[in-house]
Amino acid sequence: MTPQRKDADEATFEFATFLATSARGCIEEPALYGSLRLLDALSRFVEFCRETGLHTPDPFLEQAKKIVDENSDLIMSDPERFKQFTDGLVRNFAREIKRRAAR
Amino acid sequence: MEVYEAALGRRSVRSFQPKAVPTALIQKMLEAARWAPSASNIQPWKFIVVKDPSMVDMIRKVSPGIFGKPTTLIVVCSDQERAYRLGGEQGRDYFTIVDTALATENIVLVAHSLGLATCIVKSFAASAVSELLDIPDHARPELIVTVGYAREVPKPPPKLTLNEVAYTDRFRNQLEMK
Repeated sequence: MTPQRKDADEATFEFATFLATSARGCIEEPALYGSLRLLDALSRFVEFCRETGLHTPDPFLEQAKKIVDENSDLIMSDPERFKQFTDGLVRNFAREIKRRAAR
Repeated sequence: MEVYEAALGRRSVRSFQPKAVPTALIQKMLEAARWAPSASNIQPWKFIVVKDPSMVDMIRKVSPGIFGKPTTLIVVCSDQERAYRLGGEQGRDYFTIVDTALATENIVLVAHSLGLATCIVKSFAASAVSELLDIPDHARPELIVTVGYAREVPKPPPKLTLNEVAYTDRFRNQLEMK
């Protein structure tokens, strides 16, 4: 097994572990934590794709990851702003859908 | 550092420097933990200090609530068997949670007074942590305290005012203050 392949396998396993443990935790955790875990998954997935070379780095997704990483802790300090941030994030995705459709 | 100052100054830190925590400081934190109050003095706790980087990494992988890369973890467990033997069902089902939380608060306050950063984490897969750390069936991991040196200390979160959470003599009677 090449070192690169080994890294990719490890990253895949780590990502799958995060999803499985998050799924278990979400049964009892506050409902809003489900949103947090999915955003964390988004961030990890973008990183996963970059590190494993699954696809070429995507500027939009990299920016989305940056926004997620910078704002996720709002869930602890200001749930209302957390909600606004997720609204803004979704709007960004909608604009990107339109931009890609127009290509 | 005064206890009052530690209580008000402690923050939940989720970004750490890659710097090891001296054993002597961990020992102080654990000494404070074992002196925490507990119902009927049952002391239903066990503490596992995780310093081996590979084990820290494994625990981190099954703990969605651990952010950043702390160099040390303290896994606070309840001893269900001891709690039941000495405190019955209430001891096992209720006091284990309260008492381990009290011990954990001592840990984070002392850590803060020693210049360390911590975060109390409940979001972890308990069965996975038990498997990784060989925790026996009669014990249960209740909380994980991430420990390290802060890379970034968050701003204080919004808090309810004293008047919103405390009363005098009767529920909802305005708090008497100087």
